[in-house]
Amino acid sequence: MDISFALTGKGYVILASDTTAARSIVKMKVDEDKIKVLSPHLLMAYSGEPGDTVQFAEYIERNIRLYQIRNTYALRPPSAASWIRRTLADSLRSRKPYAVNLLIGGYDTSTHQPHLYWVDYLGTMSEVPFAAHGYGAYFALSLLDREDGLMSGSSYHDPEAPLEEGLKTLRRCLDEVAKRLVVTPEKYKVKVVDKDGVREIEI
Amino acid sequence: MNSFLTRYSSTTPEADIRKAKELYGEDEDFSEVMWGSTGGFGNLASGVPMFKLPSVQDPSSFLRMHTDDHADPSCRIKIKHGTTTLAFRFQGGVIVAVDSRATAGSYVASGTVKKVIEINPYLLGTMAGGAADCQYWETYLGIQCRLHELRNRERISVAAASKYLSNLVYSYKGMGLSMGTMICGWDKTGPAIFYVDSDGTRLKGDLFSVGSGSTFAYGVLDQGYRWDLTDEEAQELGRRSIYAAGHRDAFSGNTVNLYHVKQDGWKFIGNYDVSELHYNGPGDVPGATGGGYGYDIRVAGRTSTNAPEGEAGEGQA
Amino acid sequence: MSIMEYNGGSVIAMVGKECVAIASDLRLGNQALGISSNFQKIFQMTDRIFLGLPGLATDVTTLKETFRFRVNMYTIKEERELEPETFAHMVSSALYERRFGPYFIEPVMCGLQKTHDGSYKPFIAATDLIGCLNFAKDFVVAGTASSKLFGVAEGLWEPDLEPEDLFETCAQTLLNAVDRDAYSGWGAEVYVLTKDKVIKRTLKGRMD
Repeated sequence: MDISFALTGKGYVILASDTTAARSIVKMKVDEDKIKVLSPHLLMAYSGEPGDTVQFAEYIERNIRLYQIRNTYALRPPSAASWIRRTLADSLRSRKPYAVNLLIGGYDTSTHQPHLYWVDYLGTMSEVPFAAHGYGAYFALSLLDREDGLMSGSSYHDPEAPLEEGLKTLRRCLDEVAKRLVVTPEKYKVKVVDKDGVREIEI
Repeated sequence: MNSFLTRYSSTTPEADIRKAKELYGEDEDFSEVMWGSTGGFGNLASGVPMFKLPSVQDPSSFLRMHTDDHADPSCRIKIKHGTTTLAFRFQGGVIVAVDSRATAGSYVASGTVKKVIEINPYLLGTMAGGAADCQYWETYLGIQCRLHELRNRERISVAAASKYLSNLVYSYKGMGLSMGTMICGWDKTGPAIFYVDSDGTRLKGDLFSVGSGSTFAYGVLDQGYRWDLTDEEAQELGRRSIYAAGHRDAFSGNTVNLYHVKQDGWKFIGNYDVSELHYNGPGDVPGATGGGYGYDIRVAGRTSTNAPEGEAGEGQA
Repeated sequence: MSIMEYNGGSVIAMVGKECVAIASDLRLGNQALGISSNFQKIFQMTDRIFLGLPGLATDVTTLKETFRFRVNMYTIKEERELEPETFAHMVSSALYERRFGPYFIEPVMCGLQKTHDGSYKPFIAATDLIGCLNFAKDFVVAGTASSKLFGVAEGLWEPDLEPEDLFETCAQTLLNAVDRDAYSGWGAEVYVLTKDKVIKRTLKGRMD
């Protein structure tokens, strides 16, 4: 079962996804990148049914690119997310639907606003300050809801947190999952999008 | 041999009397003297409780067929469940915290369930799974603990009490009992917690959470837990963890019940409304940091928008 | 697991004296897990029509977009404003078009219908998921808390409520009904529509 997390902070979105590609009980690959760069300021973490995931992600990636070539500018995050959602929703009622869950993170260079969208395979979409897919959600969401407590000593989720702080918060989520979940991924790929564009971060 | 025959024959006068007794719900091996003096304990007064079984081929699968709403959501009898309970050990004793919601399907059947069962002044049991199963067997455990005290002139240890319960529910394995409980208390060895469930699992530990909202409680609990927590910090952590589960899990919520077990027995700390905790926090209580627990409440007015004024002269606008 | 209960959510609409009200909760869930406390289910279709869409969340968004498109096309082609009753039939036929693979939504709508003498008449309606119209004179409900909403509304609603009283009745009905439903809640919003204004209020609800 894939696990992915995402959270927003002051002017950025962090996306993290585990890197295992499993088949039955076997790990086929341990360094698979499951976060696509859709445009200079747009990221998409995908998980779900093997086969569907990459096929769908590449379809989205190429079409977002096509839009950019045709119109000379890229779709802004809300529009891109809306189109991706619609693609999934239409696919749901086709003969063979894509079973793919997404986290779409982008930075809107016109409004200077980071956007994060939680999208599931049915085409349900919601803009949220932090999100998770897979079993990780059951452990991380309550942790991220939490306020700075006296005993915590360091921060949980804060929309105004600088990047270092945000990465620390992400670390907390990964640690919690590692502590409690029966089968845990050993590695995560982490990507950030902010005003300077997209980059990968070692964690 | 003759008496053996009459016992199982269906045509003798004895058999008729036996049938009549069954019809009036009398226990076969019950002396007449006891009649009417069961002190409200029902068939418990005879020592080991006995249960009537439905007269079908396989009673447990019959029960499962009509009550298990995971297998069949449209079944007639919906057993109440959905819960978050937690208990942890720390320097100052044991914290026990639970929610108070009972659901039957999507219906919130009650918001004022007592999910901490006060077995005796030194022992607490928590309730997850079948409400009736937990209530009945933990009350029964209370009786046995008292008898142990009278027989041995000393209080039963938490380990022994939990083992008693564990063995008891294990003897009913496969019959459809559903319990996930933590037996918490203070004995000669100090504070102790045992997790006991109807599978027969019994675990000693420092920190447990049980129920549909347990993962959410763990998320907060694990990140805030230390052995050397002060009493106030520990109570706040228990309260905050149950709130977290009440907030995110549809089948948990309404109120939080908080207990603290110390050397001189357990103490009820308080009852807190989850919605009140969300908007206003627990109020002026020890350990609280002030303000509502809710995410939207604590980040009100904060924005992740990166306005260019704040980033003057840096990168593209 | 029922597909109508997958995301949770409930809507109620009520008739008042020369006004109508519609209210919904704000929860988006993934079965028992709460995802968002900010998921709108009520949409303004025209100046005088509101539409509530409880049910499967993906279809909430899809249908919101579909009806925005259809209402716009109607307004452009007909060069006049769409009336609530016409809209109700538009909703009904849009859903019946998917008779054999339905949208998992039970729409609730309300509006002010223009009468021949130029005044406005309150209008409410609801349909099932394949478009069977139900015009009511008092209130209509839908969603995971519908059975609870019926109970409370039967007790609280009375005819000819003024806008402020209608708001209170509608808000209290919703708030108290969703407190007895595990899949609805997490905040609420109420719209009251009168002939010259729309009052929108976001309510503090129980957050469990």
